[in-house]
Parts: sequence; C-alpha cells; structure tokens
Amino acid sequence: MTRVFYTARFFFVVPPMPLLMIGAFAVVVVVAGVMVAIDSTRAAGTLTPILLLQTFACSSGFDVPARRGHYDLLLTSGGTRAGIATAHWMASSLPGALAWAALALVHELTAGNHGGTPLLDSGTVVALLLVSTIPWATTVRLPRFSGAIGWLLVVAILTPATPSIFNGALRPNTEYWGWIQSAFAVLVYPPLLVGRELTGDDRLLVAPALLSAVAAVLIGIWSVGRRDIPLEAAQ
Amino acid sequence: MTAVLLSVRSASARYGRREVFRDLSFDLRTAQALGVLGGNGAGKTTLLRMLVGGIAPAIGDVRIAGFRPADATRRLSVAYFAGAATLPPSVRARAWGALGAGEALLPDRRRMRVLSQGSRQLLGLRTVLSRHPLQLIVLDEPWEGLDTESSRWLNATLELKRDRGAAVVVSSHRLHDLAGFCDEYLFLMPHEAILLKAHEIARVGPVTAAVLADTFDRLRDRTKSQDAPAAVE
Repeated sequence: MTRVFYTARFFFVVPPMPLLMIGAFAVVVVVAGVMVAIDSTRAAGTLTPILLLQTFACSSGFDVPARRGHYDLLLTSGGTRAGIATAHWMASSLPGALAWAALALVHELTAGNHGGTPLLDSGTVVALLLVSTIPWATTVRLPRFSGAIGWLLVVAILTPATPSIFNGALRPNTEYWGWIQSAFAVLVYPPLLVGRELTGDDRLLVAPALLSAVAAVLIGIWSVGRRDIPLEAAQ
Repeated sequence: MTAVLLSVRSASARYGRREVFRDLSFDLRTAQALGVLGGNGAGKTTLLRMLVGGIAPAIGDVRIAGFRPADATRRLSVAYFAGAATLPPSVRARAWGALGAGEALLPDRRRMRVLSQGSRQLLGLRTVLSRHPLQLIVLDEPWEGLDTESSRWLNATLELKRDRGAAVVVSSHRLHDLAGFCDEYLFLMPHEAILLKAHEIARVGPVTAAVLADTFDRLRDRTKSQDAPAAVE
C-alpha cells in the first residue's frame, strides 16, 4: 500500500501532462459549468471540448520522460513497471475524469427534477473511457501528444472523404458492412456517444471499441514492463 | 569477508548494432565501493543503468542479491542518480526533495529549470541518498557541478553509507574524487573492461589521482596497441 501511495504522490509531483493542460481543463470546466447552469439542455454539447482535451492529456507519452530519466526515482523505488505504467495512465486520465464529474455535478444540481443527466449516460461514460485509453496506449512509446495529433488527422481525413461515416453512425443498421462502418465510427470518433443511453444494438456496436481500448491499455502496460529504458543521453 | 551483493557475468550491451561493451564480469560485496572509469562513450552510463534494471544485458547476466535488477529494486533499497539533467524541469525543488525520505530537503520553492546545475545535482543526490538503510548506491558522475562543500558532503555521505553496509558503484571523470574512496576500479576501454583492486593499482600507500591517471593511460595505450593494425614493412 505504501508503494501505491508513493507512486500516486510521485505523479502528483511530476504530472504526466503539462501544467498548462490542467489549467485548460479548469477554464473549460468553469465555462461549461456556467453554460450548463444557464441552459441544462446543452449539457451534452459542453462535454465535447473536455473529451478533446482529454485526448491530448492522455497522449502523455511514457517513454520519452522515462528515457530522459525523469522517472528514475520512481523506477528504482520498489514498484513494478506494470504498476507504474498503470499509475501513469490513471494520472493522465484523472484531470479529464474530474472535469467530467464536476460538470455532471453542476448539471445534477442545476437541472433539478428535469430527468437524468446526459453526462452520466452509458454512452457518455464509454466515450470518456475511449478517449482516456486509446490515446494513452498509442502514445506510450511516442512523444507527448502524438496519439491525439494522429487521431485529429484521421478524423480530418475521414470527415471529407466519407461524410456519411459519422452522420449515420448510430442509426439502426441491418447491413453487415453498415454495422462495421458504424462500429469503426464509434471507435474513431467517441463524442458520437455523448448523451446516449446505450441499448441492446448500441451495446453491440460499442463492444469492439471497448475491447480495442482494453487491449490497447494492456499492450501499453506490457510494453512498459518489457522493454528497456535507456538514458537518452547515453545512446 | 562480506557477502556478494552485485554480480555481473559476461554482460554485453548494445544499442541496435552498436556494441557498447562486451563480456564484462565482476562481483561487488556489501560495504565495498567500485569506481567506473572510461572515456566518453565507453559505456559507463549504460553499465550503471543496467545495474538498476533500466536496460537488460544483450548477453550475460546481472544479479543483485541473487535477483534480477528489476526484481531486486522491489526487495532491496537502491539509490540511483544519473545527473542533474534527469530531473524534471517543471517540478518544484521542495516537492522533489520530499520524494526522497518524505521530509522537505530544501525550502526552495523554485522550479528545477531555474536552479543552477550544481543546485540540481545536489538536490538529486540528497533526494536519493536520504533513503535509509541503503543496500546499493549507483551514481553516475555524482561530483559533476558540485562546489567544494557539496563534494565534501557527498564524500562523507558515501563513506558513511558504505561503512554501514551499502555497496557503492560510482562513475566519474574526476579521478581525485574516486581515488582513495573505491576498493575496486573498473576501467572501460574500447572493446575491453579491466577490473583492478586498489592494492593492484598502488601496491604501497593509497590510490591517488596521479596513480589512477597513470594506470588509466597505461591501460588505454595497451588496448590501443592491441587494436592497431600490424605495421607493414
């Protein structure tokens, strides 16, 4: 337990993302909170900038700071590499998760008895999970923000190339090819799921994305545990 | 005779196709100090990182108290510091210092990036050496950037930790800091590593910086002449 606390303390002192990113989350939460308080029906829309920021925050990159020696103190303090990688992922996702929780709380307090909050719908939770996992895993061995920049490029290329891929993603689909396209769209652009309560067909649609996210994080943790971390200056 | 803590057997290190060193073997006992010497690019930093599990040997084996380094750091108390450049620049000095033994080592609230190299070096050393009891201490160029007073503190601390049973591995270009402190000296030469005990370097009296420099030059010339192609008449 002491090691868990030490690892948590280490990433509190040495956050995986720039301090500016935490400031950006704070600003977005305040602005979005005011918007939700004024008009609670716009709650789902206010989450999109938080998901975007979360994609960048989670593209924190483990390998580059580790190769610079920034994590040496932690790596030789008795924790397992897998545990340290897991803590790194959690520390990368925490600001976004807290921002989402704060917005949900604001909505809950201000919306009164006008039904449940879209910020706690299962689709929203899945979207947050996807943007918190896949960017982290893809950036583990790359420089900071690489995963998020790559994701932006994919979205920017796909949107004009196949406009229907995102627009019709969550419509009922009976064709096999259409279902594959929709599952792909959910994986590539998780904000599609915000404010949506996932029913039977939807759950099947998000299953490949969720499985990919879990697999990506496990591979990322395994990769940190297995590979060498030489000092940049020594190579 | 104290127990062997660190055991390196036929270890080689590579970065891609480039071989850094090969067939390196030595033992280090508790309460002993090993000095690692070598020119730039000889593999000192790579060797020290290998000892704490950052890099696995391409061939060979490294054991600390019988465990692989990555497992040993979970069972033993290990201090490792590779220089001021490894400290994260955006972290505040006081917060970093508290990551050592848990107490604030410095009242300084400034971020690392605005501290002088010597201040960062001292902070990094104080942080890793504040843990106790330490069983293995691995320091890469620890005297780099330190003023006289800080160097004295480091020498006294390393001697104290070693006398209390820690095995110490330290690399340095500053021979006068290594001289007299270490029980064994490992000379990393191109394509060859030579381990000499202190009494093999200076048969009478302590190992001085001059004796160490002379030994280093002699070994370097020997390995150079071995590497040189045969003269053609």
